[in-house]
Amino acid sequence: MENNVDMKNKVVCKVARYNNVVNYIVTFFIILTLNFFLPRLMPGDPLQAIYGDDALIAMTPELKAELIQRFALDKPLGEQFVAYLRALFRGDLGYSYYYHAQVVSVVLGYLPWTLLLSGLALVLSTLTGFILGVEAGFRRGQGLDKLLLTTLMLVNGFPDFFVGILFLLLFSVVWGLFPLGGSLTPYASLKGFDLMLDILHHLALPLLTLVVVRCVNIFLLTRSSMVTTLGAGFILTARAKGCKDIRVRYHHAGRHSLLPVVTAAGLHLTHLITGTLFVEVVFSYPGLGSLLYNALMVRDYPVIQGVLLILTAAVLIINLMLDLLYLKVDPRINYAR
Amino acid sequence: MHVDYWQEIREDRLGRIGLYLILLLALLAALAPFLAPYPPEARVGAAFSPPSSRHWLGTNDVGQDIWSCLLYGARTSLVVGCGAGLLAGTISVLVGTSSALVGGFYDSLCMRVVDALLVIPPVLLAILVGAYFKPHLLTLVLLLAAFLWPGGARIIRAEALSLKEKKSVAAARTFGAGSLYIMARHIVPDLGPVWLAVMIQDARRAIFMEAGLSFLGVCDPTLHSWGRMMQQALEFTYLEVWKWWLLPPGLALSLTVAALSFLSFALERILNPRLRGEREDAGH
Repeated sequence: MENNVDMKNKVVCKVARYNNVVNYIVTFFIILTLNFFLPRLMPGDPLQAIYGDDALIAMTPELKAELIQRFALDKPLGEQFVAYLRALFRGDLGYSYYYHAQVVSVVLGYLPWTLLLSGLALVLSTLTGFILGVEAGFRRGQGLDKLLLTTLMLVNGFPDFFVGILFLLLFSVVWGLFPLGGSLTPYASLKGFDLMLDILHHLALPLLTLVVVRCVNIFLLTRSSMVTTLGAGFILTARAKGCKDIRVRYHHAGRHSLLPVVTAAGLHLTHLITGTLFVEVVFSYPGLGSLLYNALMVRDYPVIQGVLLILTAAVLIINLMLDLLYLKVDPRINYAR
Repeated sequence: MHVDYWQEIREDRLGRIGLYLILLLALLAALAPFLAPYPPEARVGAAFSPPSSRHWLGTNDVGQDIWSCLLYGARTSLVVGCGAGLLAGTISVLVGTSSALVGGFYDSLCMRVVDALLVIPPVLLAILVGAYFKPHLLTLVLLLAAFLWPGGARIIRAEALSLKEKKSVAAARTFGAGSLYIMARHIVPDLGPVWLAVMIQDARRAIFMEAGLSFLGVCDPTLHSWGRMMQQALEFTYLEVWKWWLLPPGLALSLTVAALSFLSFALERILNPRLRGEREDAGH
């Protein structure tokens, strides 16, 4: 019966993969619809819900008339939706009255830091999780394996932001080794190598947090995959050929154990992105997470919507690219077509 | 799949720890009005007073008793976890079994929606919707359940598809049982353990998300929540107060989430016979 479920799951997975592009479009549409309807269904003036309380203070009658016209708020809901979509396709995410700027430009200003942090975290957490997983799986049941398994499962229970808080308290507050927040030393006007060091110094703790929290899943996947792989016939062959331990571990078993990691990469990335949001808040790292947090504090709805829209778009694009990557990595999927 | 799973959980070391932790927490939360020396919102002492016999964990920036806040926070976490877990689990079962039994267009429509929702992290959706509604307890449960059910629905559907092939179901069909009867009498009862696993998983994620949402300030500020306590305490890291204000809610939250993880790990091992072999190997 177990096999039966497995088989069906595989079939389901394959069918799902064919339909993935459609899924992503449906998903994106759900988000757009939520983005559109939420402010308009709130009780009271939709302008206030779309723009937040800040906007009303700055609002002159002419501006109000212009905004009503721009969002077609005096038209039926259907036409409003079309107007909204049209604005989106022009790359217009709205105007933030808190920052007095277009939402797109505000978001783009914060995006590089998030990309830097999450990109590095992706590489390092995957690498750490994989290596630890291979080593632990290879020594299943021994001291190192048990130690790693218990520690990482414990860490798994910790929310991302609490791990961040612990590191912040330990390394910055108690020992004073790292800065309390931000991404650069303000007004230091550093150049070249010093600037890079300063950036790394600020990046270290949020990065460490993300790597520690996010390597757990990769570790567990690799480890359990290693355990099954090590029982396979080709491992015995490799050993019989006289391959060295380390070669069997990484070249034969490790490479084979990489497949589930690649399959779960979409989920890993999604978790990483949401994790980054929270960790940025803890370290006041000036990325999208902090932007979102501030926007939530001052109820700057255009920015909230813009950030979330960009994040979901990123998640969808990443998943789409991964789907294309699978076709290259696993020949069986290609064959099944 | 007829396993006495409570027995198995009790025999699994991690599962037992998880179970006891959850029971302890539930006890503390249920008895919060008797155990808490002060109402959590009352300003009962000087601001930032360190732990003493009057205030076990000191007081916060406006003089509220932190130990009382912590106890009432446990209530929120547990109510949100149980509520969202139950609700999301039930929706999963309804959608999963019905689409497995009905099949055809309905099945593909349901799975299309599930896949679409599975791609986006539920936290993002919850933040988006929560930003407008400022959810309190009940709205929060509904909100979280609304975004948590799709994962479970897939698992339940796969399980129901295999249960559907059982001979007892075929026999019931030849006696003229309708889909609804088969679902209620043959499929759902056998789903028990998987359903439980799905609900525990959902509860874990709900507690996680509630804390996260409160930490970001999305939830109603009057909600007593560990996440909100941490958000407030994080502003005062330059004082000594983090020792009794910031760490306790974080540790309590982590313990709760870890306990649920242990439970679901134990359950997963019980449900998956292939892992069962591994457990016996690892146990020596």
